[in-house]
Formats: sequence, structure tokens, C-alpha cells
Amino acid sequence: MKRRLWISLIGTIVAVVGALGGNLATGNEPILGLDLQGGLSVILAPEEDASADDLIVVRDLVRSSLERSGVAEPDVRVQGSNIVVDLPGVKDKEEALRSVSVSGIVELRPVVNFQDCAGALTDPTLTADGTPLGSDQVITVTEDGVVTGEVAPQGDDPAVEPAVDEAPVDEVPSSEPAGLRRSAPDPTVPDDSTAPDDSAVPDDSTVPDDSTVPEEEVLQLPSNVGVNGAEFLPTLDGGAVCLGPSQASGEVFERDSASVALGQLGGFSVNVELRNDGQQAWNSIATQCFNRQPTCPSTGIDQNGSSRPGQIAIVLDDIVQSAPVVNVPAFDEFVSITGQFSQDEANGLTDVLNRGAFPVEVTPQETRTVSASAGGDSLKAAIIAGLIGLSLVLVFLVLYYRLLALVIIGGLVVWGMTVYSAAAFVSGATNYALSLAGITGIIVAIGVTVDSYVVFFERMKDEIRNGRTLRNAAPRSFKSTWRTIWSADLVSVIGALILFSLSVGSVRGFALYLGITTLCDLIVCFFFTRPAVLLLARSKFMVGKRAFGLEVASS
Amino acid sequence: MSRGDQIASTGLGRLFRGQTAIDFYGKRRVGLTLAVIVVVVTFASLFTRGLNLGLDFEGGDAWDVPASETFTADDAGEVLEDNGISTVGSRIQRRSGDSTDVITVQIEEVSREQADVLTNAFAERAGVDSEEVGFSFTSSTWGSEITDKALRALVIFLIIVSIFISIRFEYRMALAALAAMLHDVLVVVGVYTVFGFEVTPATVIAFLTILGYSLYDTIVVFDRVQENEGKYAGIRMPYQDIVNISMNQVLMRSINTSLSSILPVVSLLLIGSGILGAVTLREFGLALLIGMISGIYSSIFVATPLLAGLKSKVGRKARRERLTGDNLRAAVIGSGVTGRVATAAAGGSDGHGHDGDDDDRTDRDRGGRDDDAKTAAVLAPAGKLLTHPPRPRKKKRR
Repeated sequence: MKRRLWISLIGTIVAVVGALGGNLATGNEPILGLDLQGGLSVILAPEEDASADDLIVVRDLVRSSLERSGVAEPDVRVQGSNIVVDLPGVKDKEEALRSVSVSGIVELRPVVNFQDCAGALTDPTLTADGTPLGSDQVITVTEDGVVTGEVAPQGDDPAVEPAVDEAPVDEVPSSEPAGLRRSAPDPTVPDDSTAPDDSAVPDDSTVPDDSTVPEEEVLQLPSNVGVNGAEFLPTLDGGAVCLGPSQASGEVFERDSASVALGQLGGFSVNVELRNDGQQAWNSIATQCFNRQPTCPSTGIDQNGSSRPGQIAIVLDDIVQSAPVVNVPAFDEFVSITGQFSQDEANGLTDVLNRGAFPVEVTPQETRTVSASAGGDSLKAAIIAGLIGLSLVLVFLVLYYRLLALVIIGGLVVWGMTVYSAAAFVSGATNYALSLAGITGIIVAIGVTVDSYVVFFERMKDEIRNGRTLRNAAPRSFKSTWRTIWSADLVSVIGALILFSLSVGSVRGFALYLGITTLCDLIVCFFFTRPAVLLLARSKFMVGKRAFGLEVASS
Repeated sequence: MSRGDQIASTGLGRLFRGQTAIDFYGKRRVGLTLAVIVVVVTFASLFTRGLNLGLDFEGGDAWDVPASETFTADDAGEVLEDNGISTVGSRIQRRSGDSTDVITVQIEEVSREQADVLTNAFAERAGVDSEEVGFSFTSSTWGSEITDKALRALVIFLIIVSIFISIRFEYRMALAALAAMLHDVLVVVGVYTVFGFEVTPATVIAFLTILGYSLYDTIVVFDRVQENEGKYAGIRMPYQDIVNISMNQVLMRSINTSLSSILPVVSLLLIGSGILGAVTLREFGLALLIGMISGIYSSIFVATPLLAGLKSKVGRKARRERLTGDNLRAAVIGSGVTGRVATAAAGGSDGHGHDGDDDDRTDRDRGGRDDDAKTAAVLAPAGKLLTHPPRPRKKKRR
């Protein structure tokens, strides 16, 4: 027993000091929030005039995209006619730009016969056998050679019959088909959703301040446009398909409604909701494709040998993300895309569908460094005030508990080191920034941590006063104290877990630090305080000395 | 051996020795009335005055003023204060790019006239033409999505915590704990609406901190109540007594913990924002301070009386008057140990019966009615209640 206590005590101290030393040695420290340390700011400008409401929508979409990509607690707001994105803890300008390049209009385009793109075949840059893909596809390269865009492989896979080869994706409705055939173009789909021709993409290169924006070299084959606005576009896996003009944008989908689900036949499916006013536009394409109309002809043969319905391609930045076959003529509310996705692919498509709801396209204009908004002294003031408060607490505890307060001081030091290490580790792993609110939250957590000791010692005091020896009282008191502490702390941990997994923004950051401080409290209580007090209670050290205001009797 | 059998003469001494006998349950009406008043005031103020939502919730005005050696963020703050605008709710940042270097000042929305005045004031202070000062509106950063998701998470959290408390303790405790928590959050919200303090994202975090602290504090008290409930299960102690005994037993713990929690916050408030002048800490610290005081108050005067009220409605009726005064004190001291209280008269054989020699009260009660015997067991001195009286350590050979 005694040996185990020593092992626990020394093991804890060694582990905590080791973790702290490791963090300090590797320079791993908690990221501080925008209010304490500042960060980088990127200005996003809309491509065209946008209404204030549209910009607010974009603001929300940018923020949720950022959170999905792991940038925590960004500050996104509309200022004037631009969107200003402040990123905490990001030091690298390119990283900042990469993380905010989240916009882009998603187009829905029917897959048409390869012959419609025949015009493109006359282009000398295409290979003789009609392979439409070559180095001329849209490739986005940053100045240091890091590829940020989707790169189509160098024409290794001649996509003469592209749609047949890569249509593992098909589409089933999760609700009963409405049975209505809508073929009239939907007036509610805004004009800007119609196919931007190839000039839409190189707009990226109009970024004015090229010293702050990675130089984007956009190569676009101008003549790959065939009849009726059909054009070849690369797919994610390196093929290419011939697409008719865009008929709708990602705005037909409910914002942020796309999610990955497990399909019925195993594998993943992506489910997305249609907006009320987007339903018509979507069904208009779906009907054309299902009926194999010339605008969306059949592109292949199914297992039974009959011709398959047409496909709708989901296109982002002129790259085909997915081209599911339409299996029903009309959709009610939900669209479910199934196929042989890997989970990553399904997640990717989900992100695309969610981001596709951008009402206007925004492009990064400029990066700036931002200073701390709370004023540089705030952090220092909070820490100084916190330390003074802490020492007052310790003075009080020493006066009250005398020798036993040594355990509290030791425990708080261990707790503090553990919290610091955990915060540094979490910052490194997830980019969660510690804001002023978080620091004050930790200061509040001191009170809760001290409470563990107070509950413990008060109980021991009761037991001793009632005639138990210290040696006898300590383990009994710990048993009942531990019950109290884990019950009370578990509530905080539950709260932290739920708030962290379900909320966004600074509430999420709060939950993270609530969880860290509470877990550290539990760990320190069990692995440090318990052995320390039990060993102290067994030793002759306490005999005849005053603790709890009572003289400790010899046993 | 040091025994705390003799009762301290001063109140402080009794507190220190855990010999207090405060009839908390008897004061429940005062406590609950005060709580109800606070909640009513909060709601009244919420509906008439509302909350003063800050820049991050409502958006405001923004100026981009070219920065220079002579115009820094501090200068911008001075310009704001000269024009009677508090820097507490504003945000001043230096934003420097490769080609630009500006001070961005964001404040809550002001009238056009005042905005023009400020534009000119900034231009004058920075020594530039007022054309060069960019003025624009700025939107909120805290979108409705954050609020919606946070509220949804909060509701789910409260449901799960209720279930947890119901399983770990009982559902009445869950109800009482949630009521106390609601009270605490409303107290702080009330302070914000009555005094018109600005609500920032940090304030929301403070509200959440208080929510967690309140639940924590209440559960610690309830844990003792539940423990005593088990301890007195054998003698059918009225619930009010259990509550009173438990409250007195945890009183010193509550005071110590409160002091330990509040001291750092007071320091944050007085030293951080007062002496060191970090204004951002002020309202946040205030919210925390009020919330913590309220949390301690509510676990004593809201949660436990409410729990006793809920419990007294069910099951057994109180067989006698509540214990008060010295009787309560004896019970508080007596049950301050681990172990079970059983009736001496009924149990008899389990090794901790009364000798009758060292306590007069037990003598009087002996042979009386069953209820009296049960009461007597409660009043027995602590030493007699130990399930296993401490015995001298045997000298073992090791």
C-alpha cells in the first residue's frame, strides 16, 4: 500500500514535470486569442456587388468553413463592403490565405455526350486521340510550388467515355419521388448561377496585392468549349467529362445541410436538403437527366443493358466533384448521393455542397497582421492579478490548515503545470486559442480545484474531532471526498464535452478549457493529493503538530 | 487525544469547530423570497430595458485611420474618450499589411453627426486629411448560428445533467440544482440588464462559467445531504433535519471554498482592472464575482430548502418538531463521521449502544417511546456513533 502510494506520488510528479519540460523544450505553448495576441487578418472582397444580407450569409459560411477546417475562434465580420477575417494563432500568411479560400460557386451541370465537346478536339493542344486532358487543365500553383488547387493528372486516363467509366456514383432519393415532371426553367434561380464561362476562373489572378497573395498561375484552355456551351472539365480522380451549361448553383441546397451518412448497402452516402425555392431548379435538371433528354443524355449502360439516365455534375471551381446518375425524376426534399466513396471523399463532397451555398464569390484581397484588441497590458494584468489572488488564497489556506496546506500548494503547482501542458498540447493539435475569457476561466477554476482539498480536509477534521486518528481518518475521508468530487466534476466534464461537440466559436473554446481544468483537477486529486495526504497521515511528521486547528494526536 | 466534545463559547469558535447549529431550513422563506424578488426584477428589467449588446453582437461603426509614429492605438483610445465614448466596448487594433498600416477603431453604432465628428477628430489627431480616414459600418461577428448552436448544446447539456443527477442522486435534487443554477444565471443577467453593462462574448463565457460553478457547488452540498440520508435511514429522520444537519456540516467547507474562489476574482477586479487598468477585465470580473456569490447563496438558500420542500411532500411525515438549538448542534457534531446511525434502543446489539453513563439525554430517553429513542440516537455523542470505535493500534511485529 505504502509503496503504491509512493509510486503514484512520484510517478505523477515525474510525468507532469516531464510533460511541462517537453513542452517548454519544444517551444510548444498555448496559442493566445485575438484579444491577447492578435493574429492575421485577411480581407475578402465580393466579386460583384452584394447586398448586406448576402454578405452576412457569406460571413457565417466563411466562419463555419474555418471551424470545419480547424481554425478555432476566428473573428469574421462584414466591414463596409468587404469581409474581414481575423485568425488567431496563425502566423503564416499563406496558411491564412489557404484557410480562408473557402468560397467558390458550386454549379450543377448536366453531363452531355462527348461529341458536344468536339469543338475542343480541334484544338492543337489536345492529343490526337481526343484525350481532352493535358497540362492545360486548371492547375493552381502557389509561388513556392505548393499545389493548392486540384490538379488533374497529366492525361494518363483518356476519358473518351468518361461518364461510363466513372459513374460508380448514383443517386437515390430518400423520399418518395414526387412524380411531377418539371421541365420549365426555374425563375427563382438567380442569373449569376448560370454558367460562368472560362473567364470566371482566372479572376483569381486579379488579386491586386500579389506580394501578399500566393501568386496564382492559372492556365485555362480557352477553346475547350464545344457546341451549346459544352466544355470539358476535369474530375477529381483525373478523368474529364463533357458538361453542358450550368443550370443551377449550389444555392438549391439548404445551407449547411449536407452530411455524411452510412449508406444502406455499406459505404458512405452524402445527404443534402433542398431549399424550398431550390427544389424546382434541381428537379428541372433531374427530370431532364432522368428522361434522357438531349440536354442531359444517357451516358452509359446499366447492369441490365438498358441505357442509364443522365448524370448531374457537381462542379466547384471548374472541377467536377461528383457526377451522380439521376435515378428518379423528381425529389421532394432530400437528395442522397450514394456510391463507392471513401470517407474522405464523402467528407469532401459534403464540404463542397455546404460551401456551394455561397451567394456571392469572395476573393482574398490582402493580409494584415492584427494587434491584440484587448490592449497589450490585459494579459499581464490578468496574470498578475491572478497570481496575487492565488497567493492570497494560499495565505488563507496556510493560516487555516497549517501544515496540510503544503499539500494544497504542491497540488496546485502540479495542477497548474498539467493545465499548462494540456493547453499547449491542445493548441498544437487543434489551434484552439486561449482568450482573455479563457484565462479568467482558469483563474475561476483555481477555486474549484481548491475546493477538492477543502472538502477533503474538512471531512478529515470532522473525523479527527470525533475521535479517529489521523491515520484512520485520512483514507476514510478520501473515500467519501472522492465520491463528492467526481460527482461534481463529472457534471462539468459532461458540460464541457457537450458544449465542445455541439457549439461553435468562443463557446467551444470555453468548453475546451473547462474540460481541461476539470480533468486536471480529478487527475491531481487522485494521483497526487490522495497519496500525499495518506503518506503524510501515516508518517510521524504530523504527530503533535497543529493541522486543521486541531492538534494531531499520536496514534 | 484531542476531542471536540466541548462546545466553543464564541460563534466563530463554533464555526471553526463545526459546531454550528443554524436552522437554515427555518429561514427558507426569507431565502426563497429574496431569490424570487431577484428573478422578478431580472425579468422585469429584461422586458423593459433589454440587454445592452456589444459590438460583437450588434455590429457598429469602424474607422481605418492611417497609423504613424505619432498615431497609435493608445491615441485612438484617447480620441474616443475625448469624445465621450467608453473604450470598454470598443475595439482598437493595429492592422499592418505590406503596403498599409492602419489603426482600426470599432465602436458601437453612433449617430451620423457623431461619426463625422469622430472622423475629423481621428484625422486631426493622426495629422492626415479626413478623406484618408476610412469610415464604414461593421457587422456583428457573433452570428445567430453561434447563439443557436450554443443554446441547443446548453439544452442538451441540461437534460443530460438532469439525468445524471437523477441517477447519481435523485430527480428532486436535479430539479433543485437546476432551479438554483437558473437563479444564479438570472442574477447575473439581472445585474447586466439593470445596470446596462455591455454584453460581450466574454460575458457570455462568464455566464457559462457561473452556470458550471453553480451546479458544482450545489452538487457538493447535495452529496453530503445524500450521505446523511443514508446515515439516518435506520431512524427515519425527518428530511428537514437532514438538510439542516448537512448544511451546518458543510458550512465551513462552503465558506472556505467561497473565499478561495472569490479571492482571485476580487483580485482580478481590484488589482487587474483597478490598479493595473485593464478595463476589459472589469465587467467580466464583476459578472463572475456576482455569479459566484449568488452560486454560494443559492446552494444554501435556494437549492436545499427547495429540495427539503420537494421531499417533505412525499412519503413519511415529520414525527416531531425540527431539531433546533442544542439538539441540532448535537446532531451536527454527532454525524460528522462516516458510518451509520442506528437506534440504540432498537439495535442494541451492534456494539455501539449507549452506556447511559456519559450522557444525560440518553438516560432520559431510554425506555421511552420508539420515536424518542430514535431522536436520542441522533443526539448521542459522536464517539458513540462510530461503527468501529477507534481502538489503540496493536503493536504488530513486522
